[in-house]
Amino acid sequence: MIRLAWWLVRAQFTTRRMATALSMLAIALGVALGYAIHLINAAALADFSQAMKSVQGEPDAVIAPRDSAGQVPLALINEIARDADVAIIAPVIETRVRIDNATMAVKLIGLDVFSAAAVTPKLLPRQSDRVAGGSVFEDGVYASPTLLARFKLAPGDAVTLVRGDTHWRTRIAGDLPAARPDDLLLVADIAWVQARFGPAGGVSEGRVRLASGVRVGNWLGAWAGRLPAGLALRAAEDDSARVSNVSRAYRVNLNVLALVALLTGAFLVFATQLTAVAQRSTQFALLGVLGLSPRLRLWQVLLEGLAIGVPGAGLGLVLGYVMSLAFTQVIGGDLGGGYFSGSAPAILPRPAPALGFFALGCAASLTGALYPAWLNRIQPLAQALKTGFAQSPPSGGAAPRRRRWLKGAAMALVALAAIGLTRLPALFDLPLAGYAAIALVLVLGIGAAPPVTQIVFGALARLRLPAPLRIAVQNIVQAPLMAQVAASGLIVSFALTVSMVTMVSSFRTAVDQWLDVVLPAPMYVRSKGVPLPRELLGALAQPAAPFEKVERSAAVSLSLDPQRPAVALLVRELDRAEAAARLPFTGAVLAAPADRLVVWISEPMQQLYRLAPGQSLRLPLLGREVEAFIGGTWRDYARQFGAVVIGAADYVALGGRFEPTDLALWPRPGEEAAARTWLAKFTADYGLEMAESGEIRKLSLSIFDKSFAVTYALEAAAMLIGLFGLAVTLAAGVWLRARELATLSALGFDRAMLTRAVMFEGAMIAGIGLVIGLACGVAVGAILTHVVNPQAFHWRMKLEIPWLQVLPGAALSLLAGIFASRFAARQATRLPVAQVLANAQ
Amino acid sequence: MLTITSLSKRHANAVQAVFSGLSFSVQAGEVVALVGESGVGKSTLLNCIAGLEPADEGSILVGRQAQDIVRLGEAARAALRASSIGFVFQAFHVLPTLSVAQNIAVPLLLAGVAAGEHAARIEALLARVGLAGFGPRWPASLSGGELQRVAIARALVHRPALILADEPTGNLDPRTADEILALLLERVREQHAAALIVTHSQHVAQCCDRVLTLTPEGLQ
Repeated sequence: MIRLAWWLVRAQFTTRRMATALSMLAIALGVALGYAIHLINAAALADFSQAMKSVQGEPDAVIAPRDSAGQVPLALINEIARDADVAIIAPVIETRVRIDNATMAVKLIGLDVFSAAAVTPKLLPRQSDRVAGGSVFEDGVYASPTLLARFKLAPGDAVTLVRGDTHWRTRIAGDLPAARPDDLLLVADIAWVQARFGPAGGVSEGRVRLASGVRVGNWLGAWAGRLPAGLALRAAEDDSARVSNVSRAYRVNLNVLALVALLTGAFLVFATQLTAVAQRSTQFALLGVLGLSPRLRLWQVLLEGLAIGVPGAGLGLVLGYVMSLAFTQVIGGDLGGGYFSGSAPAILPRPAPALGFFALGCAASLTGALYPAWLNRIQPLAQALKTGFAQSPPSGGAAPRRRRWLKGAAMALVALAAIGLTRLPALFDLPLAGYAAIALVLVLGIGAAPPVTQIVFGALARLRLPAPLRIAVQNIVQAPLMAQVAASGLIVSFALTVSMVTMVSSFRTAVDQWLDVVLPAPMYVRSKGVPLPRELLGALAQPAAPFEKVERSAAVSLSLDPQRPAVALLVRELDRAEAAARLPFTGAVLAAPADRLVVWISEPMQQLYRLAPGQSLRLPLLGREVEAFIGGTWRDYARQFGAVVIGAADYVALGGRFEPTDLALWPRPGEEAAARTWLAKFTADYGLEMAESGEIRKLSLSIFDKSFAVTYALEAAAMLIGLFGLAVTLAAGVWLRARELATLSALGFDRAMLTRAVMFEGAMIAGIGLVIGLACGVAVGAILTHVVNPQAFHWRMKLEIPWLQVLPGAALSLLAGIFASRFAARQATRLPVAQVLANAQ
Repeated sequence: MLTITSLSKRHANAVQAVFSGLSFSVQAGEVVALVGESGVGKSTLLNCIAGLEPADEGSILVGRQAQDIVRLGEAARAALRASSIGFVFQAFHVLPTLSVAQNIAVPLLLAGVAAGEHAARIEALLARVGLAGFGPRWPASLSGGELQRVAIARALVHRPALILADEPTGNLDPRTADEILALLLERVREQHAAALIVTHSQHVAQCCDRVLTLTPEGLQ
């Protein structure tokens, strides 16, 4: 029996090479995209995690201030060191400095060499032979090999470290042999760093290695109540979770898109297998008559589906690996998401995920073959042997009228369920209900194809039509299955394409409008995390400066939840009375009671921490818990993990040091060129970045487009697969009617008339598919914009349907459909009429 | 080899039965012709005997074990066809994507005949139907008469107890039809099988051992 199955599979592959190859390619594409995304994400996460471990070492717990401007008192470090449960605690100071006048700021880590050997061995320095001196850390800083290469430095070279106005002359004393290739680091003695850059009396964090046998959870619990309000103790494991959470929603979103590509692949297998069953219905009927059981007829089609899926999935794994290598080189390890540094991490395929994606490809192919296999199982043998494929095999159960009602009721239920799902909140911080709603909309679209086809073409069939058009309409009314299959493929692919274009367009329009509000000044200067030099700030305050207005701001980070990335605290020169005019608020701005501190939270912050204007927010600020009134929510597309704006005056009143890192500058009218020249001196001397708002806008939108590059690739893939499906189904439909076309030809229809009839049919099927696909696409686009985006990324925006992209896309797809049917018609009408009619005997 | 008792069949939603109360039998080595006007139900009767259409009443005992195909489930009917029935059709129905030898091997595979026996049986039968050396050829290269010879070889290769033939010479010219009929009768008798041949041809009917005429009133 296996031999017979093999003969049939081989025959199917040799007689339907093109359709089979396209189905395999579609499955391969879906697997490849999914696997490539998985490989890149896994590599990027591992790379990021290793980078973090290389700098942080592998402690059991970390004590750090919840406010990045804060510090851990040395007294507390000493107290923890005396704890019998603690094996060792490594105090660390981290700060950012520039080397000479470079624009780029690098990390400077101050370590205690004895404790570092136990906790952060990869940061241990190696003194160069060329540097005379006593012990390690006696003098100078140590640089990672990458930093040495990037700045063209060598041990023994003199360098100036710059932070704000502070300049320190020192030398490169050696390197960090165990640093990773991506690390741009300087390491120095902790006391040396503290003496020059602070903080006095404290450190940035303490990394704790517990004594053997001590459970991290118990130890953290014992210390939790003894810490000052501004400090937090966290298990080092939380850092890995936080790294993963940074890009989790983005990764899940990309994986869902890859699954969509796989789904369209399954659809192509469905179309191929259905047409294969239809074309070979007489052969299968003969085998049934000769004794091939119904179960084996079902298994045969499933086996053929699997025979497409196995090589397709295998090819997909290879393609996915190649794509992952190419993607990491071209758009980086974060696939344009902007979560990690733009490095190209090493891709390491592992057997379990590869097997998983292989199985997924096979499962998609089997799913596509399921309905054709079932149809093959229930074909009435005697009838199929005589007249070929029965499109509507006998079905028991309810009467046709009742069945129509039942189908209508089921579709209404699906629609209600989809609406209900869009109202559900995120599950596990992911828009799972939104994704389910999208799946239901697609099911609804496919389910709508048969009734819409019957209603539209039933009505058309009653009209007086020219002969070719009448043949086309009559054929769809009488034999709707192939038309519905062809339309369904197009519905799914066009709906997905329209939805993606709609979501991206809505997002881009929203970002564009948002940039108008957040970039009010013509010029901006920033110092990338280190304080701006006082010389510049002082000069700006002089009347001679060519600016009519200057706004200064600084940013620090606050840790509100150890499992989540830190929230940005933006300190801005902003009066509470004028906040409404200065931030892009999404709703009403509430006036705070005069005696209360007011802050304004970003939209992602509102959703992540379930906050609302008018509520109180406790912020870990300046070493204590500060209670603030939430005055409003503002739109922020830049910081996905939340941001809080506080007035600079309020921050200073709380005891904070306002050290501006960013400037918004309004040159005096007519003095723009002079303003640029005036700034150039400072930017050159201090390695600052200056940009005009137009440049920032252009760069922001280019980053936006880059981050959606993968989405565009998936859209194109989905649309191509949909059109392949249409072409395959139309060709098979025409092939099945070769006898009918030959008869019409014998009756006097010429080739041109027959070709026109088939083209009309293709156009009408594609038209129905595109109209339903458009409706579904707009619905899915609305779900992506209003449900998935806010729940996954915490961004809200208005729905914008880009008709100028959608309508030409629909017209092109329609033309492609007509072209595919023309090709199919020409193939069928090229056969000698006499031969076709003789074979029909 | 075939015993039919009180067999009745009515199509769904039809007022009148296609046939009712039919009873007859065909013995091993016997060739029976079934004749009658178009639409009288000859093909339906053949389909019921093969288990391709359900009968409403009566029994059809098929094969050496005399299994009642009316009472069998779908899979068991398929198994009975595979082991005990051979088919010859008017339209040949040779699988175009399998070679001649592979086409003839299909019943052997379905009947579970040991693979080692296949080649010898196929070669012997090809020789007996006048197609020695045709095994590797493809159906598209054969004439109508040659295709029907392949179909006869396929119907006999698994040594079924019953051969059902539906207008086996209907698509052939008179000379080829005579050759094919002679071959079919000779091979059926040689294998001591029973055969029921549906035909419109008086000549075919005269060549058979017995003729049954199906009319709206029943068998005559």
